[in-house]
Amino acid sequence: MGWYNKRLAKSLWVFHVSGSPCNNCDIEILDLITPAFDVERFGLKLVGSIRHADVLLVTGIFNQKIAPRIKKIYEQAPKPIFVVAVGTCMSGDCCFKDSYNKVKKREDIIPIDLYIPGCPPKPEAMIAGVVKLIGVLNG
Amino acid sequence: MDKDEKFFKAMGDKISSRIDKKRRFYFNVKNEDLREVVDYLFKTMGCRLSTATGIEMYHGLEILYHFSDDDTGTYFCPRVVIKDKEHPKVKSIVPIVKGAEWIERELFDFWGIEFEDHPRMERLLALHHPQNLKEPMRFGRDS
Amino acid sequence: MIANSIPIGPFHPLLEEAEYFELKVDGETVVDIDMEIGWMHRGHEFISEMKTFTQSIYLVERICGICSTSHPIACVHAIEDIDNIEIPIRAKYIRTLVGELERIHSHLLWLGLAGHFIGYDTLWMWVWRYREPVLQMFEIISGNRNHYGMMRIGGVAKDVDPASIPDLAKIFDMLGKKMAMLAGAVKDDPVLRSRLKGVGVLSYDDAVAYCATGPTSRASGVRGDVRKDESTDAYGLVEFDEIVLPNGDVYDKLVLRVLEVIESVKICRQCLEKLKEIKGPILNDVKEISPGEGIGRYEAPRGEVFHYIRSDGSNRPIRHKVRAPSFVNIPTYTASCKGIPVADVLITLASIDPCYCCTERSLKVVNKENDPCLIDLLKISREKTERIRREINGSK
Repeated sequence: MGWYNKRLAKSLWVFHVSGSPCNNCDIEILDLITPAFDVERFGLKLVGSIRHADVLLVTGIFNQKIAPRIKKIYEQAPKPIFVVAVGTCMSGDCCFKDSYNKVKKREDIIPIDLYIPGCPPKPEAMIAGVVKLIGVLNG
Repeated sequence: MDKDEKFFKAMGDKISSRIDKKRRFYFNVKNEDLREVVDYLFKTMGCRLSTATGIEMYHGLEILYHFSDDDTGTYFCPRVVIKDKEHPKVKSIVPIVKGAEWIERELFDFWGIEFEDHPRMERLLALHHPQNLKEPMRFGRDS
Repeated sequence: MIANSIPIGPFHPLLEEAEYFELKVDGETVVDIDMEIGWMHRGHEFISEMKTFTQSIYLVERICGICSTSHPIACVHAIEDIDNIEIPIRAKYIRTLVGELERIHSHLLWLGLAGHFIGYDTLWMWVWRYREPVLQMFEIISGNRNHYGMMRIGGVAKDVDPASIPDLAKIFDMLGKKMAMLAGAVKDDPVLRSRLKGVGVLSYDDAVAYCATGPTSRASGVRGDVRKDESTDAYGLVEFDEIVLPNGDVYDKLVLRVLEVIESVKICRQCLEKLKEIKGPILNDVKEISPGEGIGRYEAPRGEVFHYIRSDGSNRPIRHKVRAPSFVNIPTYTASCKGIPVADVLITLASIDPCYCCTERSLKVVNKENDPCLIDLLKISREKTERIRREINGSK
């Protein structure tokens, strides 16, 4: 799929899903598309539907109620789709590891391609992560 | 006379084991007197219902209502103790305070306390939960 | 009359967080609205009961990323209320400064999103540009853009560096000017006026009956501001006005938030002036918490945050109840959404600044071998903090 990925990398469209986060990563993601950081210069764009997206951006520990919905969203996505996990919650549960309502293993619900750690990650870190994804797609 | 003195005088012996702290009053109220006390606090004194806390103790369940008097920054906290842990039942205050609807549904969800005359006694957070929880969340907390 | 229903959510293009609404409509008009929450439930109260008091403060910070200092302040107030612990005067001003900075950034955030919700993206981009200096101020004060970790029982964790005060004052000067400009622009803007005036009205009686708090109730003419009522921290020592507006529509809520930002800038300036003069400790040593119960509250950007903590004399709370402002504000939709057209529903839903996270309380693995990118990320972050520090020292 090398040639396809190369064309995809020119303009990644991102759909953003929040699966029980503390909201902070989501706000920082929105911050990325405002004038101070402006990721549209890399061709990145937030879109309103998963059907248009190339990248699925997920945040938060998935709680048991939202997990089936996120699975559904992943299944609805046109493939190939790249899943980017933002925040410490996704990479390692953060302070919610004792929660009774979280799913045991998030990787069972959707496969994750890229982790961006931080609570919340600084916008620079997010840009670095996404640029690396573009680099991988370019081969 | 201060508002709080007036309140305690009007309620008389409906109130027991009163604890006074700086700008906070905690007192016990029986289940059958609850509506009268709440009615006085909400309608006559113009207090705002902040929330209600459910607590599990050795001797039963407790509900602690928090009424805030916004003019003086005072909190009035009527406490209702329920001895029956298996089937806890309390009178609902929704007919007096409309905003208590979600607060009581949350208590039902977490602690299984049933409120009589509540317009919609359903779970709040675990409604349509994929695990189909039958019990209140306080039982599932050990896992 | 046959009412049709329109589902909104759990994932909707406009909504940041997952929540579900069901609108019962008759033609274009909304007849009834039903809400379902629980998609964000993480079990904070339970986790907090397993942690020590000091750990709890950092946990409640993660209830919500936007009010991430209101919850810790309310939590430390609750613990201090058990024993009537006093805090040093310098710590009081620092707490107020951080709390008010958060109000500025949260209100600006909402203002931008409100513009986005009505399809006015210019306002969004514009306002969020002025929000960025506020986040930089947080980075100067606490070292992080969000989740500051400033609160402790008996004081604050970190002092404000006296060298950085002139820089902070400079940013406040800029903010004050821009906010005055924004207030004028928002009030005169024909788009906002025609789109928001008279939309989603929450009447005085409904605001009282639903026990709404914060800007939601103050825009409906109900008085009530924890900062004025309880005057904890430095709020008794600084001058500011409580803003109450009469109409209860979305336009009033918007104007109220802009005016509150101006008040907050005023408070922050006074705090900075005082921080120049007052020297002293910032943390009282608190050895142990005696058995008892305490209530702590704080005026978060969205309304009153309420924490109730009961201690049995050990180092853990036996019950920690958290009530976020959105929990009492969200049920007001039942009153404010009835009888309005479907097109106006989303901005009405957004008008209370709902926070569902409150209510419910790069490391690359694609190619592991040859790319040590974790080091890169840390390097970028450190370089930025260093740069900000250098700028402060350079301008001195």
